[in-house]
Amino acid sequence: MSKRIMVVDDSRLARVQLGDVLEGTDYEIASYVRSGEDAIEQYDAVKPDLVTMDIIMQGMDGLDAAEIILKQHPEARIIMVSSLAYEDTFERAKAIGAKGFVDKPFHREQLLKAFEEALG
Amino acid sequence: MNTALAKEELERILDQAVQDVTEQTAGVCLRQDNQSPGEDLCTVRITFDKGFHTSLTLCADTGLLSRMACNSFHEESISPEDLEEFSKEYFNVLCGRIARAMFQVTNVPAHFSPPVFYHGRYEPEGSEVQFMLTYSDGDCGGAQFIHHVPRVDEDGTV
Repeated sequence: MSKRIMVVDDSRLARVQLGDVLEGTDYEIASYVRSGEDAIEQYDAVKPDLVTMDIIMQGMDGLDAAEIILKQHPEARIIMVSSLAYEDTFERAKAIGAKGFVDKPFHREQLLKAFEEALG
Repeated sequence: MNTALAKEELERILDQAVQDVTEQTAGVCLRQDNQSPGEDLCTVRITFDKGFHTSLTLCADTGLLSRMACNSFHEESISPEDLEEFSKEYFNVLCGRIARAMFQVTNVPAHFSPPVFYHGRYEPEGSEVQFMLTYSDGDCGGAQFIHHVPRVDEDGTV
């Protein structure tokens, strides 16, 4: 059975690219939301196996959204996504309980490895 | 900024990032060329801060950006809104790659502003061109990546 992914990103390009990278894999995009606020609101209804969360979005920062989701749903598996991050961001992601970090543009191997580790 | 990174090194970083990100994102091969973009242009600009205080501008043929966007979105045509969104996200990802590469060389973390999109060519005030890299897709599509630094007046003030 496919693993269901919730994609949180305000970029249509990122959504399309993620879909391209996941084509032919055991992962399906179950939900696409464009903001951290929407992700918090819809997480319980979607119940994804995994969340990819962009960090820089309009409105709420992805790390803040991830932190709230993880407080409400400690079982959540969230992978942070960014086009640029430094050590302080990695540390914060780890501290809030994110399961991984991937760069943009997406690399299939890096993404699948992060998914496998998060779900492992 | 330029005391942190030599111009030649920055050119190398930019060139590598342009080729990699453009191919990965939009399936287009850009190679350095002497032919400048035409008259129908779009510009996207970001400003680096927290260590570098410079800006990077992409000035490209609208047709080239449209083809890249169509490739990326798997569509035959693209709306002006989608073109703008694509251009900003593409440039955002490119600049992220550049900033990461600069950090590996300088250990200075660079952050940058959200990209700003303009129709036509945009020249930032108070800046001068440090260098410009010109590219072609081999199909009449041109792009220039322009690195601007703060203009220094004759008396040495910025």
